[in-house]
Amino acid sequence: MSLPSRMAVLNYMNEHDSVNVKSVMEALKPFYGNEKQFNENLYLEHFMALEANGLVELASYNLDDKENLIMNYRINDDGREAVEKYVDKKYRN
Amino acid sequence: MEIEKGVMKRQLSLADNKKNALTKKFKTTGLINGVISGLTYGIYSTLVMVASGYDPLVSAAGFLAAPFVCSGLNDFIAGIWLLFYNAKKGRLKELGRTLKTKPGQMLVIGFLLGGPIANGAYLVGLAMAGAYAIPISATCSLFGALFAWMFLKQKPTKRVVLGMVLCVMGAIIINFVKPEGAPNFTLGIICALIAAICWGLEGVFSSFGGAMIDTDVAVNLRELISGLVVLILLVPAVGALKLLGGTIVAGTPLLWLAIAGLSAAISFVTWYKANATVGCAIGMSLNVTYAFWGVLFCVLFLGQTLTPTIVIGSVVIVLGAIIVTMNPLDLFRKGEVE
Repeated sequence: MSLPSRMAVLNYMNEHDSVNVKSVMEALKPFYGNEKQFNENLYLEHFMALEANGLVELASYNLDDKENLIMNYRINDDGREAVEKYVDKKYRN
Repeated sequence: MEIEKGVMKRQLSLADNKKNALTKKFKTTGLINGVISGLTYGIYSTLVMVASGYDPLVSAAGFLAAPFVCSGLNDFIAGIWLLFYNAKKGRLKELGRTLKTKPGQMLVIGFLLGGPIANGAYLVGLAMAGAYAIPISATCSLFGALFAWMFLKQKPTKRVVLGMVLCVMGAIIINFVKPEGAPNFTLGIICALIAAICWGLEGVFSSFGGAMIDTDVAVNLRELISGLVVLILLVPAVGALKLLGGTIVAGTPLLWLAIAGLSAAISFVTWYKANATVGCAIGMSLNVTYAFWGVLFCVLFLGQTLTPTIVIGSVVIVLGAIIVTMNPLDLFRKGEVE
Protein backbone atom coordinates (compact mmCIF):
# COMPACT_ATOMS: atom_id res chain seq x y z
CA MET A 1 0.00 0.00 0.00
CA SER A 2 1.36 3.40 -0.95
CA LEU A 3 1.27 6.45 1.29
CA PRO A 4 -1.40 9.07 0.66
CA SER A 5 0.15 11.24 -2.06
CA ARG A 6 0.54 14.48 -0.07
CA MET A 7 2.36 12.54 2.62
CA ALA A 8 4.50 10.87 -0.03
CA VAL A 9 5.50 14.32 -1.35
CA LEU A 10 6.62 15.44 2.12
CA ASN A 11 8.38 12.13 2.73
CA TYR A 12 10.29 12.57 -0.55
CA MET A 13 11.24 16.11 0.42
CA ASN A 14 12.71 14.82 3.67
CA GLU A 15 15.42 13.12 1.62
CA HIS A 16 15.91 15.66 -1.16
CA ASP A 17 17.10 19.23 -0.82
CA SER A 18 15.22 21.27 -3.35
CA VAL A 19 12.15 19.80 -5.00
CA ASN A 20 9.74 21.04 -7.64
CA VAL A 21 6.53 19.66 -9.14
CA LYS A 22 8.37 18.00 -12.05
CA SER A 23 11.11 16.35 -9.99
CA VAL A 24 8.76 14.98 -7.35
CA MET A 25 6.37 13.66 -10.00
CA GLU A 26 9.24 12.00 -11.79
CA ALA A 27 10.26 10.25 -8.56
CA LEU A 28 6.75 9.20 -7.56
CA LYS A 29 5.68 8.12 -11.03
CA PRO A 30 6.25 4.38 -10.41
CA PHE A 31 3.81 4.46 -7.48
CA TYR A 32 1.11 6.89 -8.56
CA GLY A 33 1.72 7.42 -12.28
CA ASN A 34 -1.31 5.51 -13.51
CA GLU A 35 -3.78 7.45 -11.34
CA LYS A 36 -5.93 10.32 -12.60
CA GLN A 37 -4.87 12.45 -9.63
CA PHE A 38 -1.28 12.33 -10.85
CA ASN A 39 -1.21 15.75 -12.53
CA GLU A 40 0.74 18.98 -12.14
CA ASN A 41 -2.17 21.02 -10.79
CA LEU A 42 -2.82 18.68 -7.89
CA TYR A 43 0.89 18.36 -7.12
CA LEU A 44 1.31 22.14 -7.05
CA GLU A 45 -1.65 22.16 -4.66
CA HIS A 46 0.20 19.67 -2.42
CA PHE A 47 3.17 22.05 -2.22
CA MET A 48 1.03 25.12 -1.56
CA ALA A 49 -0.95 23.31 1.15
CA LEU A 50 2.19 21.94 2.82
CA GLU A 51 3.63 25.47 2.69
CA ALA A 52 0.45 26.99 4.20
CA ASN A 53 0.67 24.40 6.99
CA GLY A 54 4.25 25.45 7.73
CA LEU A 55 5.92 22.15 6.80
CA VAL A 56 7.81 23.30 3.68
CA GLU A 57 8.98 26.62 2.27
CA LEU A 58 9.62 28.11 -1.13
CA ALA A 59 13.39 27.93 -1.69
CA SER A 60 13.73 29.57 -5.12
CA TYR A 61 11.97 30.04 -8.43
CA ASN A 62 13.12 30.38 -12.01
CA LEU A 63 12.05 29.77 -15.60
CA ASP A 64 12.75 26.66 -17.63
CA ASP A 65 13.73 26.65 -21.34
CA LYS A 66 10.12 27.15 -22.37
CA GLU A 67 9.71 30.07 -19.94
CA ASN A 68 7.49 28.03 -17.60
CA LEU A 69 7.69 28.98 -13.95
CA ILE A 70 9.49 26.41 -11.80
CA MET A 71 9.02 26.72 -8.04
CA ASN A 72 11.50 24.88 -5.84
CA TYR A 73 10.44 23.96 -2.32
CA ARG A 74 12.37 22.57 0.63
CA ILE A 75 11.25 20.92 3.83
CA ASN A 76 11.78 22.79 7.13
CA ASP A 77 12.32 21.59 10.71
CA ASP A 78 8.61 21.23 11.43
CA GLY A 79 8.20 19.20 8.25
CA ARG A 80 11.09 16.91 9.20
CA GLU A 81 9.63 16.44 12.66
CA ALA A 82 6.25 15.54 11.14
CA VAL A 83 7.87 12.92 8.88
CA GLU A 84 9.90 11.44 11.78
CA LYS A 85 6.82 11.26 13.98
CA TYR A 86 4.11 10.16 11.61
CA VAL A 87 5.51 8.47 8.51
CA ASP A 88 5.99 4.74 9.01
CA LYS A 89 9.69 3.79 8.92
CA LYS A 90 9.21 1.30 6.07
CA TYR A 91 8.48 4.21 3.71
CA ARG A 92 11.64 6.08 4.64
CA ASN A 93 14.96 5.33 3.00
CA MET B 1 28.36 40.49 -21.85
CA GLU B 2 25.91 43.37 -21.61
CA ILE B 3 23.45 41.53 -23.82
CA GLU B 4 23.78 38.42 -21.63
CA LYS B 5 23.10 40.52 -18.54
CA GLY B 6 20.07 42.03 -20.23
CA VAL B 7 18.68 38.61 -21.09
CA MET B 8 19.28 37.40 -17.54
CA LYS B 9 17.54 40.46 -16.13
CA ARG B 10 14.55 39.95 -18.44
CA GLN B 11 14.36 36.29 -17.44
CA LEU B 12 14.44 37.22 -13.76
CA SER B 13 11.72 39.83 -14.01
CA LEU B 14 9.60 37.46 -16.11
CA ALA B 15 10.01 34.79 -13.42
CA ASP B 16 9.07 37.40 -10.78
CA ASN B 17 6.00 38.41 -12.73
CA LYS B 18 4.87 34.84 -13.26
CA LYS B 19 5.45 33.97 -9.62
CA ASN B 20 3.57 37.05 -8.41
CA ALA B 21 0.70 36.32 -10.79
CA LEU B 22 0.49 32.76 -9.48
CA THR B 23 0.60 33.90 -5.84
CA LYS B 24 -2.08 36.48 -6.55
CA LYS B 25 -4.23 33.90 -8.28
CA PHE B 26 -3.92 31.54 -5.32
CA LYS B 27 -4.71 34.33 -2.88
CA THR B 28 -7.81 35.43 -4.79
CA THR B 29 -9.02 31.83 -5.16
CA GLY B 30 -8.36 31.30 -1.46
CA LEU B 31 -10.38 34.36 -0.45
CA ILE B 32 -13.26 33.43 -2.77
CA ASN B 33 -13.21 29.88 -1.38
CA GLY B 34 -13.36 31.28 2.16
CA VAL B 35 -16.37 33.46 1.36
CA ILE B 36 -18.15 30.56 -0.37
CA SER B 37 -17.49 28.28 2.61
CA GLY B 38 -19.19 30.74 4.97
CA LEU B 39 -22.11 31.31 2.63
CA THR B 40 -22.73 27.60 1.97
CA TYR B 41 -22.52 26.72 5.67
CA GLY B 42 -25.19 29.36 6.29
CA ILE B 43 -27.29 27.80 3.52
CA TYR B 44 -26.74 24.33 4.98
CA SER B 45 -27.84 25.49 8.46
CA THR B 46 -31.00 27.04 7.03
CA LEU B 47 -31.89 24.11 4.75
CA VAL B 48 -31.63 21.60 7.59
CA MET B 49 -34.20 23.69 9.44
CA VAL B 50 -36.39 23.73 6.31
CA ALA B 51 -36.18 19.92 6.08
CA SER B 52 -37.07 19.60 9.76
CA GLY B 53 -40.26 21.56 9.07
CA TYR B 54 -41.76 18.67 7.06
CA ASP B 55 -43.52 15.57 8.29
CA PRO B 56 -42.51 13.17 9.75
CA LEU B 57 -39.57 15.17 11.15
CA VAL B 58 -41.64 18.09 12.43
CA SER B 59 -43.91 15.89 14.56
CA ALA B 60 -41.21 13.50 15.78
CA ALA B 61 -41.33 12.58 19.46
CA GLY B 62 -38.29 13.24 21.68
CA PHE B 63 -35.75 15.98 21.14
CA LEU B 64 -32.92 13.78 19.79
CA ALA B 65 -34.71 11.74 17.12
CA ALA B 66 -35.26 14.34 14.39
CA PRO B 67 -31.84 16.08 14.73
CA PHE B 68 -29.99 12.74 14.56
CA VAL B 69 -31.99 11.55 11.54
CA CYS B 70 -31.25 14.91 9.88
CA SER B 71 -27.55 14.96 10.71
CA GLY B 72 -27.06 11.30 9.76
CA LEU B 73 -28.77 11.68 6.38
CA ASN B 74 -27.14 15.06 5.74
CA ASP B 75 -23.59 13.89 6.50
CA PHE B 76 -24.02 10.60 4.63
CA ILE B 77 -25.38 12.40 1.55
CA ALA B 78 -22.58 14.98 1.79
CA GLY B 79 -20.14 12.04 1.89
CA ILE B 80 -21.71 10.60 -1.28
CA TRP B 81 -21.45 13.99 -3.06
CA LEU B 82 -17.79 14.12 -2.05
CA LEU B 83 -17.20 10.56 -3.30
CA PHE B 84 -18.38 11.74 -6.73
CA TYR B 85 -16.10 14.77 -6.51
CA ASN B 86 -13.04 12.74 -5.50
CA ALA B 87 -13.82 10.06 -8.09
CA LYS B 88 -13.81 12.78 -10.72
CA LYS B 89 -10.40 13.94 -9.50
CA GLY B 90 -9.15 10.32 -9.48
CA ARG B 91 -8.51 10.27 -5.75
CA LEU B 92 -10.71 7.43 -4.46
CA LYS B 93 -7.70 5.23 -3.58
CA GLU B 94 -6.47 7.98 -1.28
CA LEU B 95 -9.35 7.32 1.13
CA GLY B 96 -8.08 3.84 2.06
CA ARG B 97 -4.47 4.98 2.07
CA THR B 98 -5.26 7.79 4.47
CA LEU B 99 -7.09 5.52 6.92
CA LYS B 100 -3.96 3.35 7.19
CA THR B 101 -1.76 6.21 8.42
CA LYS B 102 -1.39 7.50 11.99
CA PRO B 103 -2.44 11.07 11.11
CA GLY B 104 -5.45 9.64 9.27
CA GLN B 105 -6.48 7.63 12.33
CA MET B 106 -6.10 10.66 14.62
CA LEU B 107 -8.29 12.60 12.20
CA VAL B 108 -10.96 9.90 12.46
CA ILE B 109 -11.11 10.33 16.26
CA GLY B 110 -11.58 14.04 15.63
CA PHE B 111 -14.27 13.30 13.02
CA LEU B 112 -16.24 11.27 15.59
CA LEU B 113 -16.24 14.28 17.90
CA GLY B 114 -16.89 16.84 15.18
CA GLY B 115 -19.33 14.73 13.18
CA PRO B 116 -21.85 12.68 15.17
CA ILE B 117 -21.43 14.52 18.48
CA ALA B 118 -20.91 18.15 17.43
CA ASN B 119 -23.13 18.10 14.37
CA GLY B 120 -25.85 16.25 16.28
CA ALA B 121 -25.65 18.76 19.13
CA TYR B 122 -25.68 21.65 16.63
CA LEU B 123 -28.87 20.39 15.03
CA VAL B 124 -30.52 19.77 18.42
CA GLY B 125 -29.51 23.36 19.24
CA LEU B 126 -31.02 24.65 15.98
CA ALA B 127 -34.23 22.74 16.66
CA MET B 128 -34.56 24.19 20.15
CA ALA B 129 -33.17 27.69 19.90
CA GLY B 130 -33.58 28.41 16.17
CA ALA B 131 -31.17 30.86 14.55
CA TYR B 132 -29.83 31.81 18.00
CA ALA B 133 -27.83 28.59 18.05
CA ILE B 134 -25.86 29.53 14.91
CA PRO B 135 -23.67 32.36 16.28
CA ILE B 136 -23.21 30.44 19.57
CA SER B 137 -21.68 27.53 17.65
CA ALA B 138 -19.26 30.00 16.06
CA THR B 139 -17.46 30.19 19.40
CA CYS B 140 -15.67 26.99 18.32
CA SER B 141 -12.57 29.04 17.46
CA LEU B 142 -12.49 30.16 21.10
CA PHE B 143 -12.48 26.52 22.21
CA GLY B 144 -9.95 25.63 19.52
CA ALA B 145 -7.54 28.24 20.91
CA LEU B 146 -8.32 27.17 24.49
CA PHE B 147 -7.61 23.49 23.82
CA ALA B 148 -4.47 24.29 21.86
CA TRP B 149 -3.35 26.14 25.00
CA MET B 150 -4.26 23.25 27.34
CA PHE B 151 -3.12 20.26 25.29
CA LEU B 152 -0.62 21.56 22.79
CA LYS B 153 0.97 24.21 25.04
CA GLN B 154 0.31 26.93 22.47
CA LYS B 155 0.02 29.96 24.72
CA PRO B 156 -2.58 32.46 23.44
CA THR B 157 -1.50 36.04 22.84
CA LYS B 158 -3.30 39.04 24.33
CA ARG B 159 -5.12 39.45 21.01
CA VAL B 160 -6.43 35.86 21.16
CA VAL B 161 -7.59 36.35 24.75
CA LEU B 162 -9.40 39.55 23.71
CA GLY B 163 -11.14 37.63 20.92
CA MET B 164 -12.12 34.88 23.38
CA VAL B 165 -13.63 37.43 25.79
CA LEU B 166 -15.60 38.96 22.90
CA CYS B 167 -16.95 35.51 21.93
CA VAL B 168 -18.15 34.88 25.46
CA MET B 169 -19.70 38.36 25.67
CA GLY B 170 -21.53 37.83 22.37
CA ALA B 171 -22.89 34.50 23.60
CA ILE B 172 -24.12 36.16 26.81
CA ILE B 173 -25.78 38.97 24.82
CA ILE B 174 -27.60 36.48 22.57
CA ASN B 175 -28.83 34.58 25.60
CA PHE B 176 -29.92 37.77 27.40
CA VAL B 177 -33.46 37.98 26.06
CA LYS B 178 -35.13 34.67 25.38
CA PRO B 179 -37.42 34.64 22.34
CA GLU B 180 -41.06 33.87 22.97
CA GLY B 181 -42.39 30.41 22.21
CA ALA B 182 -39.08 28.56 22.63
CA PRO B 183 -39.49 26.59 25.86
CA ASN B 184 -36.14 24.79 25.58
CA PHE B 185 -34.18 27.86 24.50
CA THR B 186 -31.40 27.63 27.11
CA LEU B 187 -30.99 23.89 26.52
CA GLY B 188 -30.66 24.65 22.79
CA ILE B 189 -27.94 27.19 23.49
CA ILE B 190 -26.13 24.64 25.71
CA CYS B 191 -26.30 22.12 22.83
CA ALA B 192 -24.80 24.68 20.46
CA LEU B 193 -22.02 25.20 23.02
CA ILE B 194 -21.39 21.43 23.19
CA ALA B 195 -21.08 21.52 19.39
CA ALA B 196 -18.56 24.37 19.60
CA ILE B 197 -16.51 22.52 22.24
CA CYS B 198 -16.39 19.32 20.16
CA TRP B 199 -15.44 21.24 17.00
CA GLY B 200 -12.65 22.87 19.00
CA LEU B 201 -11.45 19.42 20.10
CA GLU B 202 -11.66 18.14 16.53
CA GLY B 203 -9.09 20.78 15.63
CA VAL B 204 -6.73 19.41 18.28
CA PHE B 205 -6.85 15.92 16.75
CA SER B 206 -6.03 17.32 13.33
CA SER B 207 -2.76 18.66 14.72
CA PHE B 208 -1.22 15.18 14.87
CA GLY B 209 0.14 15.19 11.36
CA GLY B 210 -3.20 16.14 9.78
CA ALA B 211 -1.38 18.78 7.75
CA MET B 212 0.11 15.98 5.63
CA ILE B 213 -3.31 14.72 4.56
CA ASP B 214 -5.12 16.00 1.48
CA THR B 215 -8.06 17.93 2.90
CA ASP B 216 -10.47 16.94 0.10
CA VAL B 217 -9.88 13.33 1.12
CA ALA B 218 -10.12 14.09 4.85
CA VAL B 219 -13.44 15.90 4.42
CA ASN B 220 -14.83 13.00 2.41
CA LEU B 221 -13.88 10.54 5.17
CA ARG B 222 -15.32 12.87 7.80
CA GLU B 223 -18.74 13.10 6.20
CA LEU B 224 -18.98 9.39 5.36
CA ILE B 225 -17.81 8.21 8.80
CA SER B 226 -20.01 10.71 10.60
CA GLY B 227 -23.07 9.85 8.50
CA LEU B 228 -22.61 6.09 8.88
CA VAL B 229 -21.96 6.23 12.64
CA VAL B 230 -25.06 8.35 13.18
CA LEU B 231 -27.30 6.22 10.93
CA ILE B 232 -26.05 2.82 12.08
CA LEU B 233 -25.40 3.44 15.80
CA LEU B 234 -27.09 6.60 17.06
CA VAL B 235 -30.39 6.58 15.16
CA PRO B 236 -31.31 3.06 16.44
CA ALA B 237 -30.00 3.99 19.91
CA VAL B 238 -32.47 6.89 20.22
CA GLY B 239 -35.28 4.75 18.79
CA ALA B 240 -35.55 6.74 15.57
CA LEU B 241 -35.34 3.97 12.95
CA LYS B 242 -39.00 4.36 12.08
CA LEU B 243 -38.56 8.10 11.73
CA LEU B 244 -35.56 7.51 9.44
CA GLY B 245 -37.63 5.20 7.22
CA GLY B 246 -40.52 7.66 7.22
CA THR B 247 -38.26 10.57 6.25
CA ILE B 248 -36.75 8.65 3.35
CA VAL B 249 -40.19 7.55 2.10
CA ALA B 250 -41.67 11.06 2.50
CA GLY B 251 -39.30 12.34 -0.19
CA THR B 252 -39.53 16.11 0.26
CA PRO B 253 -37.49 16.36 3.48
CA LEU B 254 -34.92 13.98 1.96
CA LEU B 255 -34.65 16.24 -1.07
CA TRP B 256 -33.97 19.26 1.16
CA LEU B 257 -31.41 17.23 3.10
CA ALA B 258 -29.72 16.26 -0.17
CA ILE B 259 -29.32 19.94 -1.08
CA ALA B 260 -28.24 20.70 2.51
CA GLY B 261 -25.67 17.90 2.20
CA LEU B 262 -24.37 19.38 -1.02
CA SER B 263 -24.02 22.79 0.67
CA ALA B 264 -22.17 21.23 3.60
CA ALA B 265 -19.86 19.35 1.22
CA ILE B 266 -19.05 22.52 -0.74
CA SER B 267 -18.57 24.44 2.49
CA PHE B 268 -16.00 21.99 3.89
CA VAL B 269 -14.05 21.61 0.65
CA THR B 270 -13.84 25.37 0.07
CA TRP B 271 -13.04 26.05 3.73
CA TYR B 272 -10.05 23.73 3.75
CA LYS B 273 -8.97 25.04 0.37
CA ALA B 274 -9.05 28.57 1.76
CA ASN B 275 -7.06 27.46 4.80
CA ALA B 276 -4.44 25.91 2.55
CA THR B 277 -4.08 28.91 0.25
CA VAL B 278 -4.52 32.02 2.40
CA GLY B 279 -3.75 30.42 5.79
CA CYS B 280 -5.92 29.08 8.56
CA ALA B 281 -6.45 32.46 10.21
CA ILE B 282 -8.09 34.15 7.24
CA GLY B 283 -9.77 30.90 6.17
CA MET B 284 -11.44 30.43 9.55
CA SER B 285 -12.40 34.10 9.78
CA LEU B 286 -14.16 33.98 6.42
CA ASN B 287 -15.79 30.66 7.25
CA VAL B 288 -17.19 31.98 10.52
CA THR B 289 -19.26 34.54 8.59
CA TYR B 290 -21.71 31.63 8.28
CA ALA B 291 -23.17 32.97 11.52
CA PHE B 292 -24.22 36.14 9.65
CA TRP B 293 -25.55 34.28 6.63
CA GLY B 294 -27.36 31.67 8.71
CA VAL B 295 -29.15 34.30 10.81
CA LEU B 296 -29.92 36.40 7.70
CA PHE B 297 -31.42 33.46 5.77
CA CYS B 298 -33.48 32.39 8.79
CA VAL B 299 -34.89 35.91 9.06
CA LEU B 300 -35.54 36.15 5.31
CA PHE B 301 -36.94 32.70 4.60
CA LEU B 302 -38.02 31.12 7.86
CA GLY B 303 -39.72 34.08 9.52
CA GLN B 304 -37.24 34.17 12.40
CA THR B 305 -37.77 37.42 14.31
CA LEU B 306 -34.84 39.76 14.34
CA THR B 307 -34.15 41.11 17.82
CA PRO B 308 -31.46 43.63 18.82
CA THR B 309 -29.79 41.01 21.03
CA ILE B 310 -29.28 38.48 18.23
CA VAL B 311 -27.94 41.18 15.88
CA ILE B 312 -25.49 42.66 18.40
CA GLY B 313 -24.59 39.24 19.79
CA SER B 314 -23.81 37.74 16.33
CA VAL B 315 -21.70 40.75 15.34
CA VAL B 316 -19.72 40.55 18.60
CA ILE B 317 -19.17 36.76 18.26
CA VAL B 318 -18.08 36.96 14.62
CA LEU B 319 -15.74 39.83 15.49
CA GLY B 320 -14.39 37.87 18.46
CA ALA B 321 -13.91 34.73 16.35
CA ILE B 322 -12.02 36.74 13.74
CA ILE B 323 -9.77 38.32 16.37
CA VAL B 324 -9.02 34.88 17.86
CA THR B 325 -7.85 33.59 14.50
CA MET B 326 -6.08 36.59 13.00
CA ASN B 327 -4.93 40.15 13.53
CA PRO B 328 -7.54 42.20 11.61
CA LEU B 329 -4.89 44.85 10.97
CA ASP B 330 -3.05 42.34 8.73
CA LEU B 331 -5.84 42.76 6.20
CA PHE B 332 -4.77 46.37 5.68
CA ARG B 333 -1.06 45.58 5.60
CA LYS B 334 -1.32 43.42 2.51
CA GLY B 335 1.19 45.31 0.42
CA GLU B 336 4.05 45.24 2.93
CA VAL B 337 4.20 41.48 3.26
CA GLU B 338 4.83 40.77 -0.39
